[in-house]
Amino acid sequence: MSLAGEKKYKEALEVIYRTLPLPGTIGRVCPHPCEDACRREQVESAISICTLKRFIADQVDPSELDAPVIIPREERVAIVGAGPAGLTAAAYLARAGVKTTIFEALPAAGGMLKVGIPDYRLPPAILEKEVGYITDTLGVEIQYNTALGKDFTIDSLMEDGFKSVYLAIGCHKGMALGLAGEESEGVISGVKLLKEVALGEFKELSGHVVIIGGGDVAIDAARTALRIGADKVSILYRRTEAEMPARDEEIEDAIEENVEMQFLTAPKEVISKDGKTVGIKCFRMELGEPDASGRRRPVPVEDSDFVIDTDYIIPAIGQKTDAACIDVKAGVELNKWGDLAVDSITFETSRKGVFAGGDAETGASIAINAVAAGNEAGVSILRYLDGQDLAANREPVEYAQKDFNKIPDKMDKVKRQSMARLPMEQRLAGFDEVELGLTEEQALLEANKCLDCMVCCECYECVKACGAGALTLESHFEKPSTETITAGSVILSPGFAAFDPSGLDNYQYANHPNVMTAMEFERILSASGPTQGHLTRFSDHKEPKKIAWFQCVGSRDMNRCDHKYCSSVCCMYALKEAVIAKEHAGDDLECTIFFMDMRTHGKDFERYYNRAKELGIRFVRSRVHTVNPVLGTDDLNVRYVNEMGGMESEEFDMIVLSVGLEITPEVVDLAGKLDIELTEGNFAKTKSFAPVETTRKGIFVSGAFQGPKDIPQAVVDSSAAAAEAGAMLATARDTMTKTAEVVPETNVIGERPRIGVFVCKCGSNIAGTVDVESVRDYAATLPYVEYCSDSLYTCSQDTQDAMSQLIKEHNLNRIVVAACTPKTHEPLFQETLINAGLNKYLFEMTNIRNHASWVHKANPGLATEKSKDLVRMAVAKVGLMEPLKEAELTVNQAAMVIGGGIAGITSAKNLAEQGYEVHLVEKDSKLGGQANNLYKTYLEEDIQEGLSALVASVETNDRIHLHLDTTLDEVEGFVGNFKSTLTANGETQTLDHGVAVIATGATGLKPKEYCYGEDPRILTSLELDRKFIDKDASVKEAGTAVFIQCVGSRDTDRPYCSRVCCTHSIDNALELKTLNPEMDVYILYRDIRTYGEREYKYQKAREAGVIFIRYSLDNKPVVNIGDEHLTVTVTDHVLGVPLEIETDLLTLATAIVPNKDETLANFFKVPLNEDGFFVERHAKLGPSEFATDGVFLCGLAHYPKPVDEAIAHGQAAASRAVTLLARETVRMSGNVANVDPMACSSCGVCVSICPYSAPSFALEGRFAGTAEVNPVLCKGCGLCVASCRSGALHLKGFDTNQIFAQIFALDEAV
Amino acid sequence: MTEQKTKIVAFLCNWCSYGAADLAGVSRMQYPADVRVIRIPCSGRMSPKFILSAFREGADGVWVSG
Repeated sequence: MSLAGEKKYKEALEVIYRTLPLPGTIGRVCPHPCEDACRREQVESAISICTLKRFIADQVDPSELDAPVIIPREERVAIVGAGPAGLTAAAYLARAGVKTTIFEALPAAGGMLKVGIPDYRLPPAILEKEVGYITDTLGVEIQYNTALGKDFTIDSLMEDGFKSVYLAIGCHKGMALGLAGEESEGVISGVKLLKEVALGEFKELSGHVVIIGGGDVAIDAARTALRIGADKVSILYRRTEAEMPARDEEIEDAIEENVEMQFLTAPKEVISKDGKTVGIKCFRMELGEPDASGRRRPVPVEDSDFVIDTDYIIPAIGQKTDAACIDVKAGVELNKWGDLAVDSITFETSRKGVFAGGDAETGASIAINAVAAGNEAGVSILRYLDGQDLAANREPVEYAQKDFNKIPDKMDKVKRQSMARLPMEQRLAGFDEVELGLTEEQALLEANKCLDCMVCCECYECVKACGAGALTLESHFEKPSTETITAGSVILSPGFAAFDPSGLDNYQYANHPNVMTAMEFERILSASGPTQGHLTRFSDHKEPKKIAWFQCVGSRDMNRCDHKYCSSVCCMYALKEAVIAKEHAGDDLECTIFFMDMRTHGKDFERYYNRAKELGIRFVRSRVHTVNPVLGTDDLNVRYVNEMGGMESEEFDMIVLSVGLEITPEVVDLAGKLDIELTEGNFAKTKSFAPVETTRKGIFVSGAFQGPKDIPQAVVDSSAAAAEAGAMLATARDTMTKTAEVVPETNVIGERPRIGVFVCKCGSNIAGTVDVESVRDYAATLPYVEYCSDSLYTCSQDTQDAMSQLIKEHNLNRIVVAACTPKTHEPLFQETLINAGLNKYLFEMTNIRNHASWVHKANPGLATEKSKDLVRMAVAKVGLMEPLKEAELTVNQAAMVIGGGIAGITSAKNLAEQGYEVHLVEKDSKLGGQANNLYKTYLEEDIQEGLSALVASVETNDRIHLHLDTTLDEVEGFVGNFKSTLTANGETQTLDHGVAVIATGATGLKPKEYCYGEDPRILTSLELDRKFIDKDASVKEAGTAVFIQCVGSRDTDRPYCSRVCCTHSIDNALELKTLNPEMDVYILYRDIRTYGEREYKYQKAREAGVIFIRYSLDNKPVVNIGDEHLTVTVTDHVLGVPLEIETDLLTLATAIVPNKDETLANFFKVPLNEDGFFVERHAKLGPSEFATDGVFLCGLAHYPKPVDEAIAHGQAAASRAVTLLARETVRMSGNVANVDPMACSSCGVCVSICPYSAPSFALEGRFAGTAEVNPVLCKGCGLCVASCRSGALHLKGFDTNQIFAQIFALDEAV
Repeated sequence: MTEQKTKIVAFLCNWCSYGAADLAGVSRMQYPADVRVIRIPCSGRMSPKFILSAFREGADGVWVSG
């Protein structure tokens, strides 16, 4: 139906043919029981499946279909009877390659379809066409006029070498009335009449014809009689019209054609004169009680006999199987109704290898049942031939599927389409088809009513479309299966779902196309999205001029979505979207963000916020009340309350809802199954000192399931989870590894280049624009090219295998792949070279996709020419490529962790647990760093208690060597082989280590503002914590306490957020409230940044009566020291007037300031940012390591973070370090510089210019004094090569002659 | 030759500009087909001789980006 709805009639017919080889035929005659199952009935009426199949069959000539792939088999199978069952079984077996012969008693194929259905219902040409497909395309042989029992027997077939026999002999014997006078001339059974008319043996009759019966045969006989000359036709039926078993359409047709219906009439006796029929004596019936079939039983009415004058009597009261042809001795038994007895599942008769089906087995039934039986027989016979169990897994199922696609609530009703019919005046003149089929318009209307109940329509067009052969019929059929895996630990990272705002009707998301979620907006901005990155709105594809973002949709909202937590990421992504939207649309796009607190607490996020403000993005601090469509436009009106409490109204072109993160019910269910506890927000419950460990030992968590978080934090957590799982499983390391087989490398030095060029089509990505074949043929003309080919996907596994084979077969020693970008695919092809025994550097890749087909779509000719140029340049270069060696170095199995704060300790602890020696270096005399000053975590865990346990665990671990009061004086070496000099108490020591973890921390700012240092009542947050730790009674006595936030953070000196202070002050405010509930506590803030589930503490603080007053950067609070009290003056953001607060305790939430240790940065050649924090390898994907190999990063030295995040970061850095340590050796790139000492003039430019200190002067040997390059340190940038004035330096893989070869190949004639 | 073809040689740093040229493709940005890209490991690898020889080979323009 789906394919028909898309006018793919050929494909649709192929799908139908898989199970129904006679759709044009069945589509005309079937009473369509399938339509009873159609769920469209629940909307208005079932789809006309039957008529649609006929329509599809009528659109396509089967001879035009692609011939099915048939793998021939040796076995031969005989089928007796060319009716629907026999033909279907034959088609089924023929597709499976079985040689199939049908023996047919009649001179034509089709069985009852041919001789039982009149031509005006089924034109003979239709049947012939479909039989033709079975014989001509599928190769089934039909022997006509060959009858079982007369021309052959079952035994003779077996003797002739048929392995199996299928009996589909049908039900062709009309039942007799059992009345007196039945033998008279003019009494002819319905089936006989139809058969003889069909075969042209009975040409005409005249006079009055009486038909007895109410089934299809009766109607067919009546209408046929009319067409061959009958003056009047009457049907006698003993019940009423309602009980007639014939198709309703047929009854209507018959009545239209003036067939007289005499209901409740039964025959009693045939009246004949001179052996010729002249009348029939009948009697009346009336309906009595229902019988077994549920129909009311007709009861004779007494004394109601009457006579109808008639010339012909056609009994059509049923047929039975003519089993006379079956020799019982052949071992095939009949059942009690005289039909063939078979197994109900396998259709095997009592004789092994002989099967039966169709009417011969069921008694007269509808054709589609015979088709179904034919298919089942096909399955059985094939299994029989293969010696398999015939019955296995074939139990009948009541419903093939139950999980149907939901029927949408709102559906337009579409009237069931009916076929046009032949006008009455043309009907009776002959046997022209009466039902004329659906028009295409009608057919499409019907087909598109399909509800896609099963979702997939199993058309397998996807299998055909998948050129790479990844999707096959087999893989399409794959079903979920259960496997058991034995694992030592489990890491959960099931992620989150974006909040669905459909339920928030005040935002109109469900109703208005121009209100979308931020995720949807991301797709609008994406080059691969629905608008190809053009910023347009959905309703009218207009470019919006005003867009509004609403923050906290599905977050920080107890009333409407039940998510009290902050989703942590939405402020930042909204900023990003607004900035990118402006980049796309230009400056005249107005972007407005409606927010409550702007939470840009991540590294470099505050800068981004400031930049967004500079770009003109407007920030409105308000939660939007209502959105309404603006009448007559597609715009939206936003009503909100401004900061002063006034109602505002503004119109926007588009609204983006910054939806929050939520855990899906499936994940909650999973947590239940795994027996792990969840938090109030349904996140996995963890502790600050074990941030990735769930409540069940051995099960770890990472990503948003641990709490709403952004990418860097999720990456940190996942590394941390790997580290913790690794520590548990340390003893099992390397026990289940597989070793790859090493193919010995062929020596190609001195060989003439034999270049292989592989051109990729990349599906249609390249081939759609570039003429790949001509590029391939062109490549073959280039010097030294020995072999060329093109492939659909060069990167597919089968092509890789083929390539490896071809390299060996053709002795290729240089390879060019013209495909996509080497940045992603070079390693893959190099792997193939290695597998083929070639050095992986004998390879060059050229990008004819990103640099040609994708960017010159309008110019296929020029794109092809460019591709040829690029291939020529690559061939020129590859000829000069040499096999390169990769320096291999052993990794010293010890780690050094610099910094004994909480992150460093954790990192050292995990490394030791994973089995490595660790040197933990701390400049102080005590471990713990800043954690020594902290009181409680936001989860109210005692930090001193947690810290002591942590310190104890490293102090007692034999693998951890503590170096307290120690400074780092010098670092030499590189990844795997560092040599560090430490000084402790005047003594110097040198340590070898393979990796280093930098965890040097940060400190709290001692501010110069707010009178800090002038009064003992003015403290920093850490100093207040100290008082709590020391249980200082003075804090309890304060009547009023004030906290000032952002002291030294988010200002021009330090344009970053210190991340921890909001939560810290709120925690401390709550602590004060606990110590002294009478105390008035004020928090003066700019934005409250209690991200994630820290938000609960903010709510708790407000509930506890803590008063929050917002101030702005240009109007900071002012502190005065009075005799009795401190006075803090702040301008309230609602009242707009200065407020004086007299207080006894002022806590300054001061910034976290990095140590900005440039010496350390230089030791390890790692960068610091402008704030003094270390710069990680990648802001999102590499937060725990440096770009410099072998050096890792964690803790506050990276960015301010609370205890739980510092611990996760420490674990993450350890995890990253272990990836190196576990390898034991590392290979460096072969693309490095080297020096020809004979040419070196010892000028020293390379030594001074190299950012990696790779070149140095040789100290000894024959070439002492000339430059040499340490291949381990060299990054292969080529700076030294370009700057060498003597031409002594060469860059392997990008050498001067190789680049020149590309340049020289530029302008050769194409 | 009836039509004057322009040929521009682009020496692109593997780590930035070459990636940007890839990204231009991913974003389906359309530009004239006159550019031929030579990938170099770093713009520091660039030598004046490459530029001069590109011109000698008939390049109408040389673009070094990194």
